[in-house]
Amino acid sequence: MIEFRQVEKHYGSFHVLKEINLQIEQGEVVVVVGPSGSGKSTLLRCINRLEAISSGELTVNNSKVNDKKTDINKLRRDIGMVFQHFNLYPHKKVIDNITLAPIKVLGMTRQEAEKTAMYFLEKVGIAEKAGQYPSQLSGGQQQRVAIARGLAMKPKVMLFDEPTSALDPEMVGEVLDVMKALAREGMTMVVVTHEMGFAREVADRVVFMDQGQIIEEASPGEFFSNPREERAKLFLNRVLNH
Amino acid sequence: MPDFSILTENFDIYLHGFRNTILASVIALLGSFAIGTVIAVFRITPIRPLRWAGAMYVEFIRNIPLLLVVFVFFYGLPSLGITLSGFVCGTLGLMIYTASFIAEAIRAGIMSVPKGQLEAAQASGLTYVQAMRYVVLPQAIKIVIPPLSNQSLNLIKNSSILGVFAGLDLMYFGDQIASRTYVTFDTYIFVALFYLVLTLPLSYMARQLERKLAKSG
Repeated sequence: MIEFRQVEKHYGSFHVLKEINLQIEQGEVVVVVGPSGSGKSTLLRCINRLEAISSGELTVNNSKVNDKKTDINKLRRDIGMVFQHFNLYPHKKVIDNITLAPIKVLGMTRQEAEKTAMYFLEKVGIAEKAGQYPSQLSGGQQQRVAIARGLAMKPKVMLFDEPTSALDPEMVGEVLDVMKALAREGMTMVVVTHEMGFAREVADRVVFMDQGQIIEEASPGEFFSNPREERAKLFLNRVLNH
Repeated sequence: MPDFSILTENFDIYLHGFRNTILASVIALLGSFAIGTVIAVFRITPIRPLRWAGAMYVEFIRNIPLLLVVFVFFYGLPSLGITLSGFVCGTLGLMIYTASFIAEAIRAGIMSVPKGQLEAAQASGLTYVQAMRYVVLPQAIKIVIPPLSNQSLNLIKNSSILGVFAGLDLMYFGDQIASRTYVTFDTYIFVALFYLVLTLPLSYMARQLERKLAKSG
């Protein structure tokens, strides 16, 4: 359902993405790992056109993401996104954070949208926080709200951009648990993360990136026990042995 | 002690000017907020010609003395066959002039909202305009209130420019009273008091509003 064909991206003279070819099928959980600055987040942000690609072709549900004729707002309805810094709307209560897009984009009634929002808040385990402001919640709770906000649009795919990197260590687990549950239910997920345990346990496929390129693509079992590429070995040595 | 008979004997005249100062200020304020918001949005849109137009407006108008902006209406328009009263010219000039400052204040407010807010809103399918309206602008407003109340106070005080163009405002009638009674200093003390009657409550209200907004999330 997501396909990169020979995708390149430049920021001025900086070559961020090089010859990206990647296919993600419906129901798949793909975890993207690699050192900082390797282009993982950029790759993810191209999928919903928060970043534009320079050349090549990128399609989501057979729509060309960068085609002028593509209604990007419509395409984005089907792509949920969770950010490193949550990006909840601080001036809105938790429930209103979640209902905004369903009401304004999908045209749901407030009542319908609130019902949906409560369903997903329950799912991520913090229904009792519905009436509070984001600033009153812990980081882990905020990120779970952000996940509920993404799910409330009933997307076909969820993108996670380092969802646990800004969290205190004791809150990482609660967010990963929600993501694991989501993966088990068959949600298509693309996850950029440094959580190797999550990748090993949940991923259908691990994509290793370095310096803007996809260096290796393998099942987690294969990738973690027997990486083929030298750079992947080096990377795993650094992140796993300390 | 100022000579209070100046105030009591000319009270109707003062009041007449006071009313016109309020009228000019309210019209100019509403107009400059509307124009300023539009210009601010021009300055941050991804559409280049609009960005240019917005930048031109702000840089030109903001860097010309208010007096000369009003000149354009008072002396410029008649050459095109349009003659407006001093009151209208002064109010229009004030509106156009203050709008450039308000545009800058609003733009700065919008820029100070983290980029992730717009991204999160757009990623969820909201259009750019919706994302601005429901997510970015409500947050920018809190940041923008102090500079905007400043501009509002400046506008009220700057409305004394109408006096130069026979604009029938507080300053204009102050000049009239002073030149008739020769009690110049005392006359203008009362003029100043009338301005304070307008500006002090506004200043107080702005502080209250700030405090209230600071509390909510």
